[in-house]
Amino acid sequence: MKSREQEYREIFMAEALEYYDAMSRHISELERNPTDEAALNELFRLMHNLKSNSRAMGYTQIGEAAHHMETIFGLIRSKEMTFTGLVVPVLFRGVDTIGEMIRAVGEGAELPDISQLITNLDRLVQGEEPILEDDSDEDDEDANRKLELSDLVYIQIKKLDHLLNLVGELIIDRDRVLTLSREIGNPALATAAAHFSRIADELQYSVMDARLVNVGSLLNKFPRVVRDVATAEKKDVELTIVGEDIQIDRNILQIITDALLHLVRNAVGHGLETPADRLAAGKSAQGHLTLSAQTQRDEVLLQVVDDGRGINVGNVRRKAIERGLVSQEVAANLDDDAVRAFLFEPGFSMAKEVTEISGRGVGLDVVKLAIDSLGGQLRVDSVLGEGTTFTLVLPTSIAVKGALLFELDARSYAIPLMHTDSVVSLQPTDFHVVGGLLMSRVQDENVPVVPLRNLLHNGDGPLPPAVKGELTGRQDIIIVNYSNRKLGLIVDRFLRQQDIVIKPMSKPLDTIDLFGGVTLLGSGQVCLVLDVPALTRLFLAKRP
Amino acid sequence: MKNRILIVDDSFYMRTMLKNMLTDAGYEVVGEAANGQQALEMAAQTTPDLITLDVILPDNTGLDVLKGIRQDQPDVKVVMCSAVGQEVIVNEALESGATAYIVKPFSEEKVLEIVGSALQGSDSTEA
Repeated sequence: MKSREQEYREIFMAEALEYYDAMSRHISELERNPTDEAALNELFRLMHNLKSNSRAMGYTQIGEAAHHMETIFGLIRSKEMTFTGLVVPVLFRGVDTIGEMIRAVGEGAELPDISQLITNLDRLVQGEEPILEDDSDEDDEDANRKLELSDLVYIQIKKLDHLLNLVGELIIDRDRVLTLSREIGNPALATAAAHFSRIADELQYSVMDARLVNVGSLLNKFPRVVRDVATAEKKDVELTIVGEDIQIDRNILQIITDALLHLVRNAVGHGLETPADRLAAGKSAQGHLTLSAQTQRDEVLLQVVDDGRGINVGNVRRKAIERGLVSQEVAANLDDDAVRAFLFEPGFSMAKEVTEISGRGVGLDVVKLAIDSLGGQLRVDSVLGEGTTFTLVLPTSIAVKGALLFELDARSYAIPLMHTDSVVSLQPTDFHVVGGLLMSRVQDENVPVVPLRNLLHNGDGPLPPAVKGELTGRQDIIIVNYSNRKLGLIVDRFLRQQDIVIKPMSKPLDTIDLFGGVTLLGSGQVCLVLDVPALTRLFLAKRP
Repeated sequence: MKNRILIVDDSFYMRTMLKNMLTDAGYEVVGEAANGQQALEMAAQTTPDLITLDVILPDNTGLDVLKGIRQDQPDVKVVMCSAVGQEVIVNEALESGATAYIVKPFSEEKVLEIVGSALQGSDSTEA
């Protein structure tokens, strides 16, 4: 709530200073031409707005002065008074005083005394002579008056988008310049390149920072949504919001708005039980829903947590087999995480069985698509009877992504860190073959492993069954993670970790969906960026 | 379905406050206009259920905008936003077809109450 007060204050100040500048301009115009109606109308309107805004902010003194000034300009407008004689200095003084008050409010300083101004304005209304002080020393003050500009500008997100695109280009050139300077080996060039690189980095972070907004600006819309859905569904829900101050790129927030709305509606509608069902299950009658945001390294984690009925993995497994998404044999070996991932398959809905099990899965594929488009991750964890947690892992910024660079068949590839779980080097003895598939134990989990070469260059047919003994020597493996599923990719060599700018592929290559785009390396070499979601889907389709 | 609202006010501060109040309460703010011409264009474009209309605008008075909107969209609810001392204009606005009015500075409760009942009127007359 406090941040909104702050926002109002900043907007008020910016606009009030703008008004003050315009008033100063228009009153000078009016002095030159006392019948300038446009200037007069503007003065009246600006005083009116300043009055309303000041009163709404609780700055009664500014409101009071503006109100009296507005009255006089109103009288001049209706020709009951003219902008001549002593009216002129009183109104000029009034505009100046308003400026002083606005600045004082901005600095948290004491407001100037306005009793004399108010008295004079009142006297003008009643047709009496105003009492003017000898203001010879005020002339000095006027001559030395500082010109103040607003500290706040409003900017269209389009302009920030453009700025970010330019920064993206700059980052590519930065890498190019650094590489060239190393190749040329001139110390002066190296120093200049290093300096250029630092400035480019700082510029990148400044532009990214300018686009950040509080997650709270979205999360704070949810109390109302939850209330409405809960009322419609006859649920009793307590919503807790955590981490409103976490910052994220404005466009990312925009893209996930519908996804989050969907998850929250689902949680209230299907995840949480009715008070009667909860009591019967030995829970409190009131369901709990938490929307939380936190930062983790360069990522923002958004979670929708309910303490509802949870997801019945057995039912999801059965449904996935029914729909032919997976064979009975394979399904039996999938762990719970992998089974829950079927909920994100297009059209996979548990809604028809909503009375008997949780109705999760309604349109979750749409949520998944939105998160994928950002290069983010969507995970679901659930304990039957205890609740469900959806986790959205989002990049803080759109343009620049951390990536792992590796080599395969003498070409460089990049894989976004967002989808990279870990990198390991394993000996052939660390693998075993299960059902024609290489498996390895990585961090206490059985992970299928496939040579990336086979996946990329194997035509349309299924992958050749793995044979123990085909691997020789140490194997560099990238463990990728998508949709609760882990997959190991064997590559030739790890290169390095680097921030990259992903550019979309140009036609006709844009139809190859295994690659999310290309990036240019410092060497000028084009590097393909692997799309992990597409790669995972391809693996599932082609597994032996 | 959410009721759709167009905000017309020449002060960014006022628009922001109104927009926050209305969206927090579950309304959809379909646009914000800062002058009379914008107001007429956006009203035609967005066909809102309700318009909050400031009495004093830079190019047109709020009254002219009200009359312009009334010609094209007789059913839209219009809530005039005025300040103390503008009773004459408010009366004229009500005669020209404004649905209700709010006096600035306004509280959130007051805005929601007046907007809510203005829209309620629409529901009952349509039903």
